[in-house]
Amino acid sequence: MEDLEDLYENAPCGYLSLAADGVIVKANRTLAGWLGTQSFELLGKRFYDLLNVPGKIFYETHFAPLLRMQGYFNEVALDLVGPDGRRLPVLANAAERRTSDGGVQFTRITLFQAGDRRRYERELVDAKNTADRARKELEELNRSLEARIAAGVAERLQLEQGLLAEKEVARLREQFVAILGHDLRNPLASIVGGLNILSREPQSDKARRVLTMMSHSTDRMSGLIQDMLDLARCRAGQGIAVDPKPTDLRGVLEQVVHELQTAYPGRNIQPSFEIEGQVPCDGGRIAQLVSNLLGNALTHGAPDRPVKVIATITDNEVMITVANEGEPIPDHIKDHLFEPFFRATSSGEKQGLGLGLFISYEIARSHGGNLQVQSNQKETQFCFTMPIFG
Amino acid sequence: MSVSARNNVTVRGDGQRAMMFAHGFGCDQNMWRHVTPTFEQDYKIVLFDHVGCGKSDLGAYDHVKYSTLSGYAADVVEIGQALDIKGGVFVGHSVSAMIGILASIQAPDLFSELVLIGPSPRYINDEGYEGGFTREEIEELLEFLDDNHLGWSAAMGPVIMGNPDRPELSEELVNSFCRTDPDIAKAFARVTFLSDNRSDLERCQARALVIQCRQDVIAQQGVGEYVRDHLPKGEMVVIDATGHCPNLSAPAQVISAIKAFV
Repeated sequence: MEDLEDLYENAPCGYLSLAADGVIVKANRTLAGWLGTQSFELLGKRFYDLLNVPGKIFYETHFAPLLRMQGYFNEVALDLVGPDGRRLPVLANAAERRTSDGGVQFTRITLFQAGDRRRYERELVDAKNTADRARKELEELNRSLEARIAAGVAERLQLEQGLLAEKEVARLREQFVAILGHDLRNPLASIVGGLNILSREPQSDKARRVLTMMSHSTDRMSGLIQDMLDLARCRAGQGIAVDPKPTDLRGVLEQVVHELQTAYPGRNIQPSFEIEGQVPCDGGRIAQLVSNLLGNALTHGAPDRPVKVIATITDNEVMITVANEGEPIPDHIKDHLFEPFFRATSSGEKQGLGLGLFISYEIARSHGGNLQVQSNQKETQFCFTMPIFG
Repeated sequence: MSVSARNNVTVRGDGQRAMMFAHGFGCDQNMWRHVTPTFEQDYKIVLFDHVGCGKSDLGAYDHVKYSTLSGYAADVVEIGQALDIKGGVFVGHSVSAMIGILASIQAPDLFSELVLIGPSPRYINDEGYEGGFTREEIEELLEFLDDNHLGWSAAMGPVIMGNPDRPELSEELVNSFCRTDPDIAKAFARVTFLSDNRSDLERCQARALVIQCRQDVIAQQGVGEYVRDHLPKGEMVVIDATGHCPNLSAPAQVISAIKAFV
């Protein structure tokens, strides 16, 4: 014979009865046990006191009205919260018992533990949301497919046009090099030859002065053409051609200092060469590099202060430093010094094409070496280093 | 799509003056059924469902328009203008109390009196303001809505349990009262619980009555007092009812409060 009192108290589900005003008037032992409390502790509380905050809101906005209008609700997911804060996911059914005039007598709620099921349902919802997002993304991708194809084709066309333009530029560059190398240099060589012949003839004072001037101009022009040729080759990715062979580097450096001392008679150049013997390098190119550096130092350095040229050699490295005093090079200029056609605005008279430092840097690189600049209030220093092998 | 079909507008009653009822979050116009019959003799009763709820046209749901309460208020104004309402009474429950205030600011001629049941201009606590909830709790609520997708469809499914006291309710209720697209329900919850319309209160020129339940966990008495104090013509009556839906749990008290006011 079933014991109904025992069935109520120890049923495999929770029972709650609420008075018309929502106050708990009866709760079974099963539910109290789940919440870690005693039945009598639950009496006098309201149902929503057992819910977490979202549950309270949801209950008040949905299930309480539903219960009033429909007289029942089924399978509502809620989280109960016990006095010790433990959370109990449940599914709840509720039904109102009404008086003959429709008023509420009391409300009965049945609660089933639903932790696993709620977790599973949450996973289903998450999976559905993920699928929805993926579907929306796919739709969006499909919608924009045509536009993206059109953009892709346009980009491709542009690239091809860019390639064509680049080929055209390369063709022009080669033409330019040819013009420089032959069409300009050849007539210049004829002029130089003519000057040589004329200088051996008897001359008036005036003719001698003019011939000297013309000779300097052709030297200068030939230097500029050489620089342009070097640039064109570097731009074509070929770098500066060097021809390294055992060289009396000390002799080369002394020659450069001598030339520039002659060109700048009033200036104090202080050479210091701790370097002996043969060094494998392209003497002409190294002379060009040092001449550029020294020329710059004399042009831009403080006129009343000495310019130092220091060369040292170790077992595996040659280091040549040119240093002058005077205004330091500002950082924003320093960053661009080695770019072609770069000229630091200011100062006077004969400025070249702005290729000197660029070509010097390329010469250093062609020797497997490096060219670096340091500049501060004390001095400005260009330092060329080059490894020696074997 | 006419406004009337979009918002499932129903009009009944014999009176001249209009009395419009607006349901809150989680319900539809059925929630007014214990309140409206009393007024049918003297008023023209206007009921409707917010777009996304009840039997409204779900296809008209516009995520941008309805991301603020003024979108919902614009619908109230449209309904009022379509019915040529002037100087009517607006009765709004929960979030619709604020929607009514916004509608009355948008179109001051529409309603001369507002009845606000359980209003709250902001649910989240702020400095010097006790809305009742923290932002975390509201975020948790929005997540919790997901948990009841499945529970919901089961609860609202076609299985109709015995409902001997009120057979007239079952079919209609089960199919409409809680039929809400879960995404829309979530968006409506978001706009309801994350809005802050405190600064709009002082711009409302209509006479307004706050009906406050003594025990309402969603809109506590302090919030009702705040609304009354910040409305230029606000008054408040506290009724002895529990919960957030006195129109269902204590309709007689709601009716007498409205009658005393209008």
